[in-house]
Amino acid sequence: MVLDLGAASTEMLALLGRARCRVEISDFVHYGGIDRLNKAEPGPELLQAAESVLPGRLPDDAVDIALCWDLPNYLSLDALSALMNTIGDRARPGALAHALIFYSEPDMREHPGRFIPTRDGELVDCSKTSAKVTAPRYSPEALGKHSGNFVIDRARLLSNGMQEFLFRLEQ
Amino acid sequence: MFERGKKDDSTTESQDSNGSKLESSYEPARPAAVSRSSNAAVIGRSIQINGDLRGDEDLRIEGDVSGTVELRNNALTIGKEGKVKAGVYAKSIAVDGETNGDLYATERVSIHVNARVQGNIIAPRVSIEEGAHFKGSIEMDSAAIDRALGKTAAGSTDKPVSQAKPGAAAGAKTSPKAAAKDAGASVTAPAKTA
Repeated sequence: MVLDLGAASTEMLALLGRARCRVEISDFVHYGGIDRLNKAEPGPELLQAAESVLPGRLPDDAVDIALCWDLPNYLSLDALSALMNTIGDRARPGALAHALIFYSEPDMREHPGRFIPTRDGELVDCSKTSAKVTAPRYSPEALGKHSGNFVIDRARLLSNGMQEFLFRLEQ
Repeated sequence: MFERGKKDDSTTESQDSNGSKLESSYEPARPAAVSRSSNAAVIGRSIQINGDLRGDEDLRIEGDVSGTVELRNNALTIGKEGKVKAGVYAKSIAVDGETNGDLYATERVSIHVNARVQGNIIAPRVSIEEGAHFKGSIEMDSAAIDRALGKTAAGSTDKPVSQAKPGAAAGAKTSPKAAAKDAGASVTAPAKTA
C-alpha cells in the first residue's frame, strides 16, 4: 500500500495503478493535517493528532511506501517525529518513505508544493506561486533523529535545490 | 423511482420499487434542480433523503442523500449542489459535489474540479482533476475490485454498501522494492521544475 501525504492526481494514480497496489491519500494541505500536527502539544495529544490526520487503519493492510514530497519543512520536528512514528506503526518492516524538501534556499513557499509524476517516473513541480517564508532547512541529522524507526537509506541534493531522502523502516 | 423535480407538501415518505423506504423533506426556500441530462433521473436541490436508494436508471443527485445508493448498471452523477453521505455502488460515478462514504464502481470514478470526496474508492479507473479534493484510499487492482464488488453485490439486499471494507478485500500486496520499481517512486528520478 502506498500512503501519499500530498494531494491526489490522476497522473499519480495512473503510475501507481501499474503496481497493482492500494493508494491512501491524506492531502495534508487541504485537510489541515499540517496545522493540526503543529498545533498539538507534544505527548498524547500530538500522537492522537498524528493518528487523526492519516486515513483509517485497516487491520490487514500496511504501508509499503510513504510519499512525503515537500512536507517535512512545514512540520515542527516534534510533529515530524510523531507522524513518522505513527506511519511506522502502520508499515511493514523494510517499508520506504520518500521525502523531498527545499534545502539550498533560505526561504520556501508558504505552503507545500504540488508534484505530479510523469510516465517515466520524473516529478514535475506544478506548484502555484505564493508568498515565501523562512525555510527551516532541516539537516539530514535532524531529520534522521525525528523519523521514528525510519533511518536514512539515501540522501542527495537535486539540481533544483531540493534534497531527496529515502528512509527505510528498520526491522 | 426518484423525484424528478416534483414538489410535495412538506415531508413525504414513500416506498420505491424494491420496497425500500424513502424519506424526503421539502425545503421551500431552496430552488428546484435543473437536470443537465435528459435521460437521468434527478434528485433536486430541495430534496433530502435518508435511506437506501436502488434503481435501474441513471441518476443525478443535487440534493442531500444519506444511507446507501445502488445503481448497479447505471451512472450516478453527484452534482455541484449534491451532498452524499452514503456508500455508493454504480457502474460509473462522477462527482462534482461532496461525498462522504465509500464509492464502488464497476467502470470508473471521476472526481471533477472543486469536488470534495472523503472515503474509499474501489474502481478499475479513477480520475481526479486538479482542484478536486480527495482524502481516503483508492483500490484499482482488478482482482481486489472483483472481490470487493462481489462481496458488496452479495450483501446488497440486506447490508449497506458502506459496511463492506474495501481494504479487507484488497488481497494484492506488493513488496516495497517491487512497488518502488513499478510505481516509479522516483528514488532515482530527478525532480524537474515546471
